[in-house]
Amino acid sequence: MTFRWSRWSPQLALVPAGLVTLVAFIGAILWTIYLSLTRSRRLPEYAIDWSEWGRQYERLFKDDAWMISLQNLIVLGLGSALAIVFGFVLAAMIDREKRGESLFRTVFLYPLAISLIVTGAAWRWIFNPELGAEHFIHSIGLTWVNASWLARPETAMYGVILASVWQSAGFYMALMLAGLKSINSEIWSAARLDGVGMFKLYTEIIIPMMKFTFVTCAILLSLGVIKAYDVIVAMTNGGPGQSTYVPAYFTIQALSAKGNLGFASAAAVMMLVLTAVIFLPLVLLTAWQQRRSGARA
Amino acid sequence: MPRVSFEHITKNYGAMKVLDDLNLAIDDGDFLVLLGPSGCGKTTLLNLLAGLLDITDGRIMIGERDVTDLDPKDRGLAMVFQSYALYPTKTVHGNLKFGLSASKLPREEIEKRIAWAARLLQIEPLLHRKPGQLSGGQRQRVAIGRALVKNVAVFLFDEPLSNLDAKLRTEMRLEIKKLHDQLKSTIVYVTHDQIEAMTMATKIAVMNGGVIQQFGTPDEIYERPANLFVAGFIGSPAMNLRQARLSVAAGKVEAVFASGVRLDVSDYPFAASPQDGAAVIAGLRPEHFVLAASGPVAASFTVPVQYAERTGPDASAYFMFEDDLLALRVEPDSAARLTPGQSVTVSFSKGKANLFDARTGQRM
Amino acid sequence: MNDLSNAQKAVGADIAVRSAPYFPRRKKAITGRSIAIIAFLSVCALFFCVPLYVVVVTSFKTMDQIREGAMFALPNVWTLEAWDHAWNSACSGTRCEGLKVGFWNSVFILVPSLILSIGLSIVTGYALALWNVKWAGPFLFVLFICAFVPFQIIMFPLISMTATLKVYGSIWGVAIIHAVLAMPVLTLIFRNYYKDIPQEIMSAAVMDSGSFWKIFVEIILPMSGNILIVVLILQITSIWNDYLIGVTFGGMGAQPMTVNLANLITISTGTVRYNDNMAAALLTAIPPLVIYFLVGKLFVQGITAGAIKG
Repeated sequence: MTFRWSRWSPQLALVPAGLVTLVAFIGAILWTIYLSLTRSRRLPEYAIDWSEWGRQYERLFKDDAWMISLQNLIVLGLGSALAIVFGFVLAAMIDREKRGESLFRTVFLYPLAISLIVTGAAWRWIFNPELGAEHFIHSIGLTWVNASWLARPETAMYGVILASVWQSAGFYMALMLAGLKSINSEIWSAARLDGVGMFKLYTEIIIPMMKFTFVTCAILLSLGVIKAYDVIVAMTNGGPGQSTYVPAYFTIQALSAKGNLGFASAAAVMMLVLTAVIFLPLVLLTAWQQRRSGARA
Repeated sequence: MPRVSFEHITKNYGAMKVLDDLNLAIDDGDFLVLLGPSGCGKTTLLNLLAGLLDITDGRIMIGERDVTDLDPKDRGLAMVFQSYALYPTKTVHGNLKFGLSASKLPREEIEKRIAWAARLLQIEPLLHRKPGQLSGGQRQRVAIGRALVKNVAVFLFDEPLSNLDAKLRTEMRLEIKKLHDQLKSTIVYVTHDQIEAMTMATKIAVMNGGVIQQFGTPDEIYERPANLFVAGFIGSPAMNLRQARLSVAAGKVEAVFASGVRLDVSDYPFAASPQDGAAVIAGLRPEHFVLAASGPVAASFTVPVQYAERTGPDASAYFMFEDDLLALRVEPDSAARLTPGQSVTVSFSKGKANLFDARTGQRM
Repeated sequence: MNDLSNAQKAVGADIAVRSAPYFPRRKKAITGRSIAIIAFLSVCALFFCVPLYVVVVTSFKTMDQIREGAMFALPNVWTLEAWDHAWNSACSGTRCEGLKVGFWNSVFILVPSLILSIGLSIVTGYALALWNVKWAGPFLFVLFICAFVPFQIIMFPLISMTATLKVYGSIWGVAIIHAVLAMPVLTLIFRNYYKDIPQEIMSAAVMDSGSFWKIFVEIILPMSGNILIVVLILQITSIWNDYLIGVTFGGMGAQPMTVNLANLITISTGTVRYNDNMAAALLTAIPPLVIYFLVGKLFVQGITAGAIKG
C-alpha cells in the first residue's frame, strides 16, 4: 500500500478530539479514581496504602453529610419526577387543544433559557422568610401557611424541588409533545369512532405507545438530578446546616472548601457509579436497538 | 492496447465475497455496459474502478497505469451518479468548477472548459442557477457536464437515467450515445436496463452473482447468449426455454420435445459433436416464430392460443405448449385475429435456435 | 282522507328534500372541555410567570418599599436605581465594581468558547460521519458515554492540567474547558446531521477534489446552515448560563456573570439589597431570554438535540 495523504487527513482531523477524549475524559477519570485510593489532602499524593485502599470510601459512608446527600438525591429525584408528570399533562392538553399552542409553549419553556443561578435567585427571593411570599400570604390573613421553606431544614428540599420543577417542566413538555405528535393521527380517529373515553385512551393506548419517550425522560431526569449543583448554590448553599446537600454539591464542597482531594475523589467516583447505574439501561437499550436494526439490514 | 482492464479482482465485504477473481478488459473508445440484476456486483465493480471502494485483491489498469492504489481524483476518471450528486449549495457554474478542483489549471482554461461543456450540453442559460431550481433532465445534463469538463479519457456512469421519466430517458440515451461518438472517450456504464445496454453499448458485460456471465458486443449477447442466465435475462418477452433431447440420426440433428415436436437443429454450430439422447434446453426467441410459414422452417406445430397483448407497435401472443406458456412476437394485425382457445400452427425459423446443455446451463 | 295524507307526506318529503341543503351549519362553538383545558393551561402559565413577575417588579422598587413586604405589589415609584447599582457597583466577593465586570467576562469567554467548541466538534463530526475512518464506531460509543460523565469526576485533573498549561484562571482556560466538555455532545449532533448527507455527494466530491479540508469548506460547511444555527444557539445559552465551569476555572480574573450573581445573592454580611439582586438576576437572564424570544423554535431544537443524541 502506498502512502496516501487523502487517507490520513480524516484520521488526523480526529486527533484533537481523540486526545481530548483520551486525556480530558478517560485519563482524568482514571486519575480521579486513583486519587480516591490515596490519602491525598490538599495536594495530591500518589502513594497507595494497599492495606486500607478503601479508607476514603469508608470515611465517605461514615460521613453524615454524604448520607444526607444520598437521601436528598432520592428526594430530589422523586420530587423532580413531578416535572415529567406535569410536562406530560401540559403536553397532552396543548396537543388536544390546538388553540394558543405556541403561546403556551413559549411560556412553559422560557425558564429553560435562564441560568439556574437566576432561577435560584428568583425562588430564593420568593421564599425569603421576612419579606417573601410568606409575608404576603400572612398579610392576607392566612397566617397558618408556612411558605418560608428554605429557612427550615425539613422543608428546604421542597423549595429546591419546586424550583427544579418550574425550571424543567417545559423541557419535558417539549419532549412529550414531540412524542405525542409522532403518534399516528389515525389512532385518535379510531378511538373517537370506537367511543373510547379520554382517560382510558390515554392510560391504555397513548401512554404505553410513548414508553420510549417516558424512559428517555426518566433517564435524562436522573442524570440531571445527579448533576444538580447550580440550583443548590443559588437557593440554599447546602443549608440550612447541611440539609440540602446533594452529591454534586458535597463533592465540590469537599474539594474546594475542605480541601480534601482524596475524599472528594471518592465522592466523585461514587457519582460516576450512580451515573453508570442509571446510564447502563440506556446503553443496553441502544445496543439492543442497533443489533435489531443490524439484523434487519 | 486495452485502455481499462480488471485483473483478478476480488472484493470482500467483511466475510462476504462479492467479486471473486474477475477479469475484464476493454479497448480505448469502447462503451462498456455492465448489465445485471441488482446485487450482481456491477456497481461494486464500478466503484472499485472509481476508487471509491478499496480492492481486496487484484489490480486495475487504465492504459499503462496501475491505478489500484491511487486516489479517486488521480485516476483520470469522471463519474456521473444515479442521483446526480450535484452540490446543492453551489450554482451550476460552481458545480462544474468544483469538478476541476483537483486539477491545477489556470483560471482561463477552467472558464474555457466550462463554457465548452455548457455549450455542448446546452446548459448555458442555467449556469447561475442552483441545482434545486433545475428539472430532472437539466440536473442530468449538469452532472454530465461536471464530468465532461475534466477532459478525461474514461467516463463512468452509474445508472444515470434511472431517475428520469420514460420520454426523457430515451432522449438522454441518444444524447449520451452522441457524446460518445463525438468525444471518442471510453465509457463504463452501469445499468439494469437492457434497452439502455443494447442501444448504447459497444461491449456488454452481463453480470450475475459477482461473476461475468458473458462479455461481448450487443449482437453477440443477444444472438448467442453464452448460458441460460444471459438467455433469460436479455430480451423482452423473454426467450422461451424448453427441455428437449437430442436425436442424432443420418446426419440430421433434432431436438425432440416431450410432446414429440421435433426441432431441426442440423445447422446449429455445435462446439462439440452432438450426442444422441443428450438432455438440452432449447432457447427460442419469440420473434423467430412465424404464424404463416413460407420457405423452410426448423419446426412446425399446432398449439392453442391463450391470449394476445398489444404493446404499441408490437404484439405478443401466448400459446399453451407442453403445460407452459410460449411467447411469440406477432404482427399486430394477426394478433387481433387470434381468439383464445383457437388452435394455430406456428413455425420456428431455421438456424435461429439456441441450445444449452441442460446440466451445466452453458451454450452448446 | 288517505289521498290527502299521502299528499301531505309527499309535500313534507318534498320540503325536507328541498330544504336539506339550506340547513345553516351552526358555527362550531367552543366546547366546555376546551374552555376547561385553556383555563387550566392559563393557570399553569400564570404559575410559570410569577417568578419573572416578582423579579421584574422587585428590581424596579426602592428598598423602602421592599421592606414593607408586599412582594407582589407594583412599585410605588418605578426606579432604575437598583439596575444602575447592580450594573456599576454591586459587590462580588471583595470587588465592588458591579456586574459589568462579569458581563464583559462572559462576553469574552463566550466568543473563544464558541469558536473552540464548535470548531473542534464540527470537524470531528464531519470526519466521523462522512469519511471512512478506523474505529469510528467505538469512538462514537466512547463519546456517547463521555457526554454523560459527571463533571466532578474530571474536575480536579482538569484543574491540574489547566494550571500546568498556565491557562487556569484566564478566559482561555474557561474557553478550553467549555470546548472540552461540549465536544462529545456537539460531535454527536453534527455527526448525526452529516450522516444524512447522500453518500453520492461525498463520492462525487472525493472524485472531484479528494481533499478533506476543501470538501469540508466548499461543500459540507455551506450545507450545514441549519444545524450550525441550532448548535450556536444551544452553545450561546449554555455557555452564558454556565456557573460551574466559570466558578471552577475562572479563578479571580475570569469570572463570568453568573458567578458574580451567585456571589451577590449568597452574600451573608451587611444588609441585603433585594432590588439590586433582582436587577442583577435580570441582567444575567436578559441575553439568553432575548435569544429565546427571537428564535424559540431553534432553541428548543437545540435543547432537545443536546438531550437526545441517539
